[in-house]
Amino acid sequence: MNLLEGSPGSVYRVDGLNLPLELARRLEALGLFPGSQVTILRKKRRGAMIITVRGTRFALGMDIAEHIAVRGESYAS
Amino acid sequence: MPRELTIGFAGNPNCGKTTLFNAYTGANLKVANWPGVTVEKKEGRFQFHNSDYRLVDLPGAYSLTCYTMEEQVTRQYILSDDVDVIIDVADASALQRNLYLTLQLIELGKPVILALNMMDIVEKRGMEIDTHRLPEMLGVPVIPVSARRKTGLDILMHAAAHHAGHPSDTPLIHHHGRGASSMTKSTRPAKEGHKHQHHAEYAMVYSDLIEDKIDQLIDELQARYPGLQNYRWHAIKLLEGDRELLEKYPLSRPDILDRSYEQDIINQKYDFIDEIIQEVVVNREERSAVTDRADALLTHRFWGLPIFLLIMALVFFLTFTIGDWLKGYFQMGLDWFSQGALGWLQALQVAPPLISLIVDGIITGVGGVLTFLPNIIILFLALAFLEDSGYMSRVAYVMDGIMGRLGLSGRAFIPMILGFGCSVPAIMASRALENKRDRYKTMLITPFMSCSARLPIYVLFSQMFFPEHAMLAAYSMYLLGLVVAVLCAFLMHIFERGKTSRDRASNSLLIELPEYKSPSAHTIFIYVWEKVKDYLTRAGTVIFAASIIMWVLLNFGPSGYSTEMDETFGSLLGKWLVPFFAPVGLGYWQIVVALIAGISAKEVVVSSCAVLFSVGNVNSAAGMASLSAILGGMGFGPANALALMTFSLLYVPCAATLATIKKEAGSWRWTAFAAAFQIGVAWLVSFLMYRLALLVL
Repeated sequence: MNLLEGSPGSVYRVDGLNLPLELARRLEALGLFPGSQVTILRKKRRGAMIITVRGTRFALGMDIAEHIAVRGESYAS
Repeated sequence: MPRELTIGFAGNPNCGKTTLFNAYTGANLKVANWPGVTVEKKEGRFQFHNSDYRLVDLPGAYSLTCYTMEEQVTRQYILSDDVDVIIDVADASALQRNLYLTLQLIELGKPVILALNMMDIVEKRGMEIDTHRLPEMLGVPVIPVSARRKTGLDILMHAAAHHAGHPSDTPLIHHHGRGASSMTKSTRPAKEGHKHQHHAEYAMVYSDLIEDKIDQLIDELQARYPGLQNYRWHAIKLLEGDRELLEKYPLSRPDILDRSYEQDIINQKYDFIDEIIQEVVVNREERSAVTDRADALLTHRFWGLPIFLLIMALVFFLTFTIGDWLKGYFQMGLDWFSQGALGWLQALQVAPPLISLIVDGIITGVGGVLTFLPNIIILFLALAFLEDSGYMSRVAYVMDGIMGRLGLSGRAFIPMILGFGCSVPAIMASRALENKRDRYKTMLITPFMSCSARLPIYVLFSQMFFPEHAMLAAYSMYLLGLVVAVLCAFLMHIFERGKTSRDRASNSLLIELPEYKSPSAHTIFIYVWEKVKDYLTRAGTVIFAASIIMWVLLNFGPSGYSTEMDETFGSLLGKWLVPFFAPVGLGYWQIVVALIAGISAKEVVVSSCAVLFSVGNVNSAAGMASLSAILGGMGFGPANALALMTFSLLYVPCAATLATIKKEAGSWRWTAFAAAFQIGVAWLVSFLMYRLALLVL
């Protein structure tokens, strides 16, 4: 699944980034790369979401979220 | 005399770096651009224990790659000899992310002091940071400070002064649980195939595979490029596949540089950070309850938008109601001053052309621009408050869906809305946009939003030509401006849109949402002061020059100084431009001259019409009747009036706005392009409106 399909309040682990190199590197510098844990805090019906990665909140557009492969953490709530 | 010490302030965005910087320098700042780029460089001086310090605020950055201008500027500056010590400002409440930049700064090899900012927030949340263990693990001094409460400032400066000459005098003590030995060991025959024992030398030690490669690259670099500042850093960057350094220092060693190790290096840095956090932070709490509660409302999927609109309405109200009220007094003061100057100059028997230049040209031109000052101060007080509280970043999220369809960032909504008041502060507000492409696009369309100076034109012409529907005609201009702005944005968006959603992702929303906090009065004051200073400087230079040029055009002709408008260069220009304006129904030289004069300020179109058609008191019923009769006699009817209103709405913004665009874009060429673009759009839309009106009316 990708991050866009995730639901608010759930925790996911990143599997991969299918994004243009520069954007992928920017996300990695922010601590979001395969293996990182991502929590979706809020989500709009169509599009952007607020996530936390390593204790920091980010707003993320749908075009980015769609290309972040994740899997649900076992203790997802 | 000892050389003054130069201290660079580095840190993530939103870490409180600017607040800390301001706490030392106060408003005594020198703002310029970094050489060759439009990234702002702030410098301040300050004295401490009888020594002089030069403080340089580096752009906020999350890392030191070569992907953004800000990061390139930062790392080039730190590698240069200009700076002696780096103060790395870290938000202690988000230490995990902030340490990523810290590790990179340490790798650059300059003396680094870690300033742990926002320790008050850390304590409030019941967290503890072991400030003894942290410096041991990083090998640099760590000083807890609070920029807002101004605590720890002296100790920090003291540490910086003492640390300046010694990059690494803090002993490194690592006891890695796993250690580098458990990492995959290189199978490639490395330099000596040895196990790396760098833990006493470097804070950040990579896996043996990478350390082997670093050692090999250092040897290679030393042979090929003697005299480099920091071989280890260059080697690491080459392994990351850093474009800039690969070009600068090419090495033909495909055996070592077989692929980009950037991801490995990032991962291993974060592994080390995890280790630090485990050891150093007690009672780790990831999220703040206050911010969560505030966000539940402010970024709510339904309520977020109306709340934002309400806040913007309030900002708009404050700026243009209270601002305009104060502006009235400014205007009165200006009139009084200009009358006084006129009387004084006449008493001195100064030549009339000179009096006209000073009073009609300079005082009116520059003074007219100064009367916007109350609007600008109030607007930027409000914006600084929103910015410093942490709300501004949320705007990008709240507005993302709507603005996203136009290919604009959510934040572009703010300049567009402000454009209804005055284009100058609106364009200044576009600086808050995250990327350059968005900033430029916003600057192109913001002037289409009908500013308050254009209203007098609508009022006059709609009352003359659409007496029954004057209100409707005037307000339809506001709507038309909005539609044209949105349409232009949309067309540009379609034109440049990437084909796949993977391409689109590059322009998609990605922004940190800092924790909410109560704004600092000091930060707000300095922010507003910078804007005001900026604006005043412009009034004194570009606008001063523009006022003189406009005055010359309208008061000088082939036969020299003239008080008759139709003998001036302006009228010659107007007559020459008539063919260009004829297709849109504005082929009357007086109208063209009025439009040219309107570039100095749009409301001047009205007063120029009065002068050009010799109608006194044009806003009175009698004045309007006579003007309307004159225009009617020339064949200027309702369709022409509509075209004039449309053209006034859309053509080149006033001189003050153009000067602001130049300042924000940093290029005359681009400013000229923006002006040409707006004239083109104005001509096209006026043409359509005129032809349509001829059919209907």
